[in-house]
Amino acid sequence: MSGEAFSLPAASIGGFIQDPSNANPNPKPNANPAKKKRNLPGTPDPDAEVIALSPKTLMATNRFICEICKKGFQRDQNLQLHRRGHNLPWKLRQRTNKEVRKKVYICPEKTCVHHDPSRALGDLTGIKKHFSRKHGEKKWKCEKCSKKYAVQSDWKAHSKTCGTREYKCDCGTLFSRKDSFITHRAFCDALAEESARLTSVAATSLNFRNDTVNLPHGFAGRGVQDVAGIPQFGSGFPQDFSGMPAPGLPEMVQMAPANLFGSSSHFPGFENGGATSSNSNNLSLSQLPQGLKEEGRNEGNLMESLSSLYSDNQNKQSKANASPMSATALLQKAAQMGSTRSNPSFFGNSFGVMSSSSSHTAPTFMASSSASMSATSNNLDKLMLQTGGKPSEPSLLSMHHPGSNSFAQSLTRDFLGMSNDQSPRPFLPQELAKYAAIGSTMGLSQFTSSNH
Amino acid sequence: MIPEGPSPVTSSPLQFFPWMSPSPGIGSPFPWLWELKPEERGLWLIRLLVACANHVAAGSLENANIGLEQISHLASPDGDTMQRIAAYFTEALANRMLKAWPGLHKALNSTKISSVPDEILVQKLFFELCPFLKLAYIITNQAIVEAMEGEKMVHIIDLNSCEPAQWINLFQTFSARPEGPPHLRITGIHEQKEVLEQMALRLTEEAEKLDIPFQFNPIVCKLENLDLESLRVKTGEALAVSSVLQLHSLLATDDEVPGRNFNSPPVSKTRVLQMTQRTFGEWLEKEPVHIYNPSSDIASSPSSLAPAPKMGSFLAALRALSPKVMVVTEQESNHNGPTLMERVIEALNFYAALFDCLESTVSRAPIERQKVEKMLFGEEIKNIIACEGGERKDRHEKLEKWILRLELAGFGRVPLSYHGMLQAGRLLQSNNYDGYKMKEENGCLVMCWQERPLYSISAWGFRR
Repeated sequence: MSGEAFSLPAASIGGFIQDPSNANPNPKPNANPAKKKRNLPGTPDPDAEVIALSPKTLMATNRFICEICKKGFQRDQNLQLHRRGHNLPWKLRQRTNKEVRKKVYICPEKTCVHHDPSRALGDLTGIKKHFSRKHGEKKWKCEKCSKKYAVQSDWKAHSKTCGTREYKCDCGTLFSRKDSFITHRAFCDALAEESARLTSVAATSLNFRNDTVNLPHGFAGRGVQDVAGIPQFGSGFPQDFSGMPAPGLPEMVQMAPANLFGSSSHFPGFENGGATSSNSNNLSLSQLPQGLKEEGRNEGNLMESLSSLYSDNQNKQSKANASPMSATALLQKAAQMGSTRSNPSFFGNSFGVMSSSSSHTAPTFMASSSASMSATSNNLDKLMLQTGGKPSEPSLLSMHHPGSNSFAQSLTRDFLGMSNDQSPRPFLPQELAKYAAIGSTMGLSQFTSSNH
Repeated sequence: MIPEGPSPVTSSPLQFFPWMSPSPGIGSPFPWLWELKPEERGLWLIRLLVACANHVAAGSLENANIGLEQISHLASPDGDTMQRIAAYFTEALANRMLKAWPGLHKALNSTKISSVPDEILVQKLFFELCPFLKLAYIITNQAIVEAMEGEKMVHIIDLNSCEPAQWINLFQTFSARPEGPPHLRITGIHEQKEVLEQMALRLTEEAEKLDIPFQFNPIVCKLENLDLESLRVKTGEALAVSSVLQLHSLLATDDEVPGRNFNSPPVSKTRVLQMTQRTFGEWLEKEPVHIYNPSSDIASSPSSLAPAPKMGSFLAALRALSPKVMVVTEQESNHNGPTLMERVIEALNFYAALFDCLESTVSRAPIERQKVEKMLFGEEIKNIIACEGGERKDRHEKLEKWILRLELAGFGRVPLSYHGMLQAGRLLQSNNYDGYKMKEENGCLVMCWQERPLYSISAWGFRR
């Protein structure tokens, strides 16, 4: 017999742990008498014999050695058959007729769960594999993914499936696991870019249709604006940061192993912070429709374009709290109006102009503005270059032809207070915004450039 | 004379403009102002602000004064986002203008009481209300833990030690390490002694609970006066540096780019009043137009970096200590432009996003929000706009410039791990932080609010 194997009746082992009051060698006190075909791992048959093998025995591959040629065999039967070849006496052991006592094995490693007889494993091969896997050295390595295994059969099984089933993200990264794939997609830049592209494409197509209406410009520039008249907007997109479809998110959250959460949960105010303010969203949204109504000359088109913008954007990035009322949106709008109108800074300079205002009539104003046009557009150019913004070249050039600019024409008309067929309400907020656009262009063009 | 009617603005332009005229006597606001829709009011505010800033930059203080007056009718620290932003910006502009009369400026600011508890509170509020600092801490800690794998002695230098939660989080991660926690030393730098005392107390308490050998060394001084000798870095310990929104103050320098006009002699008031339309064009030409070389914009050529001697020497000294990792969190905006207008525009965009973000995150606590806006953002805005030279500490720069500076100083980029980003993402989700995004750019992370990048985090090691 190869050395240190020993078997004890379960009672003596059980005695260390539980009351040895019964002759019945129960590995555990509350025995399950019903015999099952196959027990759950680690829940052994109560009246089985518990065998404790030493690590050496468990790891030994060939326990049975031939005396003559020292060849090793895993089974005694095989050794016996081999001995026949050496003309040595051999004996094949027969399976005993009487009832064989079931054997269960415990892991020799003291810290292991299966060291306890009540959690013994029922199979010798099983305990051997367990010992190798948990407490052994990993000698087998997968070629493709360099994952290491202690048990050869595990390694073989893995090699068969390694690389066969993959998930591929749009950015080109490969994943073997579904959960890591989904997590990655949450952060994937490529996905975000693509959805941004799609959004802006949808938005620009709207631009062409509604040239005269200011609002879509402001919207289109970003593509993440709220849309009028949809109060439940803010609450509809709670998880915008990931840009992922909702079903994927619960998986992400479930994936989080406990210790990782533990590290971040200890920040004292972390869990309490950051309440979503869908209320404030609604408030600001409700103000929107009023502004929209008066702003748009083509109101029908406006609502239509906005609603289609909404439906286009619906599946893309979230728009929580991106109403035009937000300061960032206002700045962008100001920049848009400034650059698309590309007006010289009439307004900002009108401080000086109007000092002797009362006697001025419109034509002289126009003359002064044309004189200033070249100067201001020079500045505009320089500043635009400086900030790297894209100067709206065609419109800038047109400014050099005073009077041919349609805006200048309308300015004249409006100054004289003539009723226009175009705009029934010449000085409405729309016009105000136009005038506002005139103000200090030097700064306006820089708005667009500072956001990357 | 204002005509009656549904829209009172159907007046002739001449009546419309006198509101804007510099001639005295027309100071009372016209009622139609109050009828402005918030959006229009916001647009007006933007235009007026930029116009006023232009005047300030040009030195025409009289015009700027009028501008401020006009804005005051529309702006308010209690109004909507744009109104509040305008309020702080005009305050900053006014501050700047006041410096044209240094005696006046000093006199007005002489009896200011700076309350340390208030400042501490505001920092705490910012930490709790917005996730930016928490995210920065998570990422910093993750980078440190990864860099310190296998290290037994760790020394962390915290360039602005004010929030114990930052390091408590690290303690937990360290104590869960398979090889057990290292011997940990944290050197905290702060200007106020009380803050460091608090830190020491909390941190030693936590470290004891977690059974981590820990030592806290406080250093009470300004970052620019830091003597690296006092850090007492020992041989054999692995060094990490955490810089959260601190490094930019070292960019402050007294030498300015020549040709800039700060505090140009105030344009004589009479000049403005005499301006007629005829001289308007001339006025424009006389205005000091700042002509910039295209290379002086945000191009990534080394020559475009503003000179910063303090930064250079600090980084060199730091580099000489051979830190294993240095994590730098900075505002992602260029508030270090040589001219006022540049800074005003950039700041407008940046703080608009920040104010929006704060507004959306903190809807129910207006007092707290106002405190953060006034005492934190407002002070930054004031510093960016009103101060110059060594006084102007809030010299934020964009990530690309930081990368240049740090690489020039001999640091090599250490890519931030995906794991850190995951943790950050989890934080954002678990607290329902809507609208926040984390973007990855070349191994660095950028925290955004609704597509607008606000803060950048990058990690650095020394290049051998």
